[in-house]
Amino acid sequence: MTITAPAAHATAVVAPPILELIDVRASYGPIEVLHGVDLIVRAGQVVALLGPNGGGKSTTVKVAAGLLPATSGEVRYAGRPVEGIAAQDAASLGVCTIPEGRGIFPNLSVRENLWLATGTGTSRARVEEAAYRRFPILADRRNQLAGSMSGGEQQMLALSRALTTDPAVLLLDELSMGLAPMIVSQMYDTVAQLVEEGISVLVAEQFARTVLPIADVAAVMLHGRIAAVGSPAEIDADLSTTYLGG
Amino acid sequence: MDLFLTYTILGLVLGSVYAIAASGLVLTYTTSGIFNFAHGAQAMLAAFLYWQFKVAWGMPTLVAFVLVVCVIGPLLGIVLYNVLMKGLRDVEEVTKVVVTVAVLLGMVALSQWIWDPTQARKMDMLFGSSTSIDVFGVVVRYHELLCVVSAIALAVALRLVFTRTRLGVTMRAVVDDPDLLRLNGYNPERIAMSSWALGSGLAAFAGVLVTPVAGGSLEANTLTLLVIDTFAAAMFGRLRSIPRTFACAIALGLVVTYAGGYAPTQWDWVSNFKAALPMVVLFLVLLVLPQDRLRGTSQTRTRERARVPSVRQAAVWGLAFVAIMYLILQVASPIMVGPLIAALVFAVIALSLVPLTGYAGEINLAPLSFGAIGVIVAFHTGIVGTGLAARLNWVGIVAGTIVTALVGGLVALPALRLRGLYLALGTMAFGGIVSTLVIKEIQPRHWFGLDIALFPAGILVVPPPKIGPLDMAKESTFLMTLAVLFAVLGIGIVALRNTGYGRRLAAMKDSPAATAMLGQSLVKLKLSVFMLSAGIAGLGGILMASTAGSVSAENFLIVVSLSLVMLTVVGGVSHVSGALFGGVMVGLVFTLISGTFSGLAIEHPEFESLFGSFAHLFAIAVALMGIGVNQNPTGVVHQICESYRPLRNARPVLYAGGAVAAGVYVLNYVGVYGDWWLAILMFCGVLLLPIVGRIWMPERMMTPAELAEHEARRTPPPELMGLDQPLSDTERFELDLLLGLPPRPLPLQEFAEELEQLTGKDEVHAPA
Repeated sequence: MTITAPAAHATAVVAPPILELIDVRASYGPIEVLHGVDLIVRAGQVVALLGPNGGGKSTTVKVAAGLLPATSGEVRYAGRPVEGIAAQDAASLGVCTIPEGRGIFPNLSVRENLWLATGTGTSRARVEEAAYRRFPILADRRNQLAGSMSGGEQQMLALSRALTTDPAVLLLDELSMGLAPMIVSQMYDTVAQLVEEGISVLVAEQFARTVLPIADVAAVMLHGRIAAVGSPAEIDADLSTTYLGG
Repeated sequence: MDLFLTYTILGLVLGSVYAIAASGLVLTYTTSGIFNFAHGAQAMLAAFLYWQFKVAWGMPTLVAFVLVVCVIGPLLGIVLYNVLMKGLRDVEEVTKVVVTVAVLLGMVALSQWIWDPTQARKMDMLFGSSTSIDVFGVVVRYHELLCVVSAIALAVALRLVFTRTRLGVTMRAVVDDPDLLRLNGYNPERIAMSSWALGSGLAAFAGVLVTPVAGGSLEANTLTLLVIDTFAAAMFGRLRSIPRTFACAIALGLVVTYAGGYAPTQWDWVSNFKAALPMVVLFLVLLVLPQDRLRGTSQTRTRERARVPSVRQAAVWGLAFVAIMYLILQVASPIMVGPLIAALVFAVIALSLVPLTGYAGEINLAPLSFGAIGVIVAFHTGIVGTGLAARLNWVGIVAGTIVTALVGGLVALPALRLRGLYLALGTMAFGGIVSTLVIKEIQPRHWFGLDIALFPAGILVVPPPKIGPLDMAKESTFLMTLAVLFAVLGIGIVALRNTGYGRRLAAMKDSPAATAMLGQSLVKLKLSVFMLSAGIAGLGGILMASTAGSVSAENFLIVVSLSLVMLTVVGGVSHVSGALFGGVMVGLVFTLISGTFSGLAIEHPEFESLFGSFAHLFAIAVALMGIGVNQNPTGVVHQICESYRPLRNARPVLYAGGAVAAGVYVLNYVGVYGDWWLAILMFCGVLLLPIVGRIWMPERMMTPAELAEHEARRTPPPELMGLDQPLSDTERFELDLLLGLPPRPLPLQEFAEELEQLTGKDEVHAPA
């Protein structure tokens, strides 16, 4: 059993693992889609999970978030195995997930969306204040239905949950989906700031170029397996072959 | 002016109760996606419980009220959610509908068991009917005041809960995206459970309030249907919006009261119309509801699996069915022929559900009401002769069928733009209108230049049909004709499923969006299949009336329709055999079991209560079957057929089974035992044969995986080795290996074999 964390990587050696997937297999009904995935996110790291559609990135995020149970293998949070954990329990342990698409409730107002982030015990006022400080536009929209905002604003709202619940690890699935490039880079600026505040991040992303600059480690997923792991620079060089066949 | 004020206040009171009931309904639907047809039954049970506590056991009003509304009501909701509704996420709409309908029927049966319906019970107003205050000269009882005040308080409270509290906001969030809510650290299950607790508490509250307002007499069916009147209000709020629901409920209460109060006394139909009004409003609301958006992505995988038989298979089964009916006819005692005919007649009505619900995924909750239309038309057009020589001719049958099909089209029209649940509610409204308006048309009236009554004197006498030389006055002829008719219709429906039209229906059920994008007109598909279904139901209704000799309002009760729909789904609504199952259960088994038990009760008066309980237990057991549909949504018959599939590889078992069946039949034929024994032996034999096969010829009956498991269960685990007999050398060797001990040497030959086996295994396991 090999754990695919590059021991050579500078920060990785010292920092303890926050999130580990060890030989994880997962399936939708009878169809297995993850065939043994090993992945480590260490404290303070940004791990980018790259690869084409259907490679298993989203499924990996789902397993890590507790939305989909692993059929075999192990998921560990901060070194402790959390077999069959429910997503709501994972969330209260500090695993914050922004799922694919928009991580918001479209028929609730912006304010009510933010209130839902008080599950971990922060007050409503603090949650709102933190979100508005980072994204002032949300303050103007506070009584608007979240579903009526632009895609970028919705994603800001989704991200502000990560700002306010003080998670240990942030799981992002296709943050850039359906957004203008400028908004995407703004989003990743926010993610970079979060990392500086000490949050570890696992980000699944189809568009490698947007996420590689902020990543510490990059992994490429193909056909339900980790095909390659390395520093962002190495992976960047490999990527064209991955996407264009090989 | 005083009169107007009185009516207004009475209307407001009724509207308030409607509002309380409807808001509970909306609450449970939005958070769990299940429309609770049993909402009215819950209210009914609460009213009975309150009566039991207050009147029968003499508890103080407040204690009884709190116990029923704040404790038992919510508890019932929690139990319902945890036991049943939680598992209803990935099933078709019809399964959800049937499970809650089954709960409704079970609760009605339960209440009739506990509280004997022949005994009259009266429930007084809370605080008594003498306590009152004066509002602008109108006497308003405290109870009525409580209704209005609590409805207003509830409206305000719900508003606050939904926008200000965490529970309320999460309840709304569950509707949007349960998974995302999980990721936020909330448990959607628990939120849905709280909403069911709250909704059921509101149902109980409405039940306790509504009974005195509606006259005070406790009757299970009436009370259940009373809350069903609130469906219109819930629908007006599009099952989402509480304010709109409240508005419609209040308006409904006012309109019903004004209609009753201000109509001229010579309009004798007004009292019927008043009863039908909520259903009429439901219909109108369905008309004005905006069209559903077609969504391609929301299609989820469901657990129902239906095999489509080929026409040839259907023809073989049809022939076999007619042959079996013939054989049964040879041995059945004459009193059994009537129930058999009833079974087939109900099977024909149930058959109307196969193309509609099974193939196209639309739901009709009132097939018998369509039958009633057929009967009325046939009665007015097709009877020739008088007295014992009277016959129903083919004109009546054809006219009844066609008119019912047309009426079916009309009924489906408003709901065509909408999804399954709305159409189901539309048919239920139609059923209500038929039983409150059409069947109550017992006085002659001037219709288009003719003076006729639709339903003269409340009873229609329909003679046996006669088509050409085929006179069905003789029961055996009728039975065989029905058997042939059912077989032909069944084969026809299977054939229809195998045509392009049938495939389009199936496509529409799976994904309306994709079907529309392939250029199919959903409206045409829905309308045509609904007319076809209504026509079959009309035909079945006519035949039902002429087998019964006469029909009255009791034959078309919505509860009977619901039972038939439920049992057909239990049998498997995508299969013709499921319709047969439903028909046999409703037409034959019901009558037989209740008849047998009441017969036994008369024969043995000392056990009367025991046998009475058995009859009630049976009614509840039937409801439990409906509830169990969640475990097996494809249907019972399908399950039995699947268990027979492997028997094709084990012919000897089949032959032996056939021989035993023939033997059982012959013994009955020569009179060794009666029909009951034949039925019981056949029933057990049919269910046991696959099990016998698995024991007798496991290697032919099981898949390799099952066989391996079977073998593994036979070989004892290592820790039991050596207990019943001394260990052999090989076993000792294996045990040593397992325990990690140095193995004692084996005799050379065995050792070589063992080694070969082990290394062989190793090679299989080690990846290259």
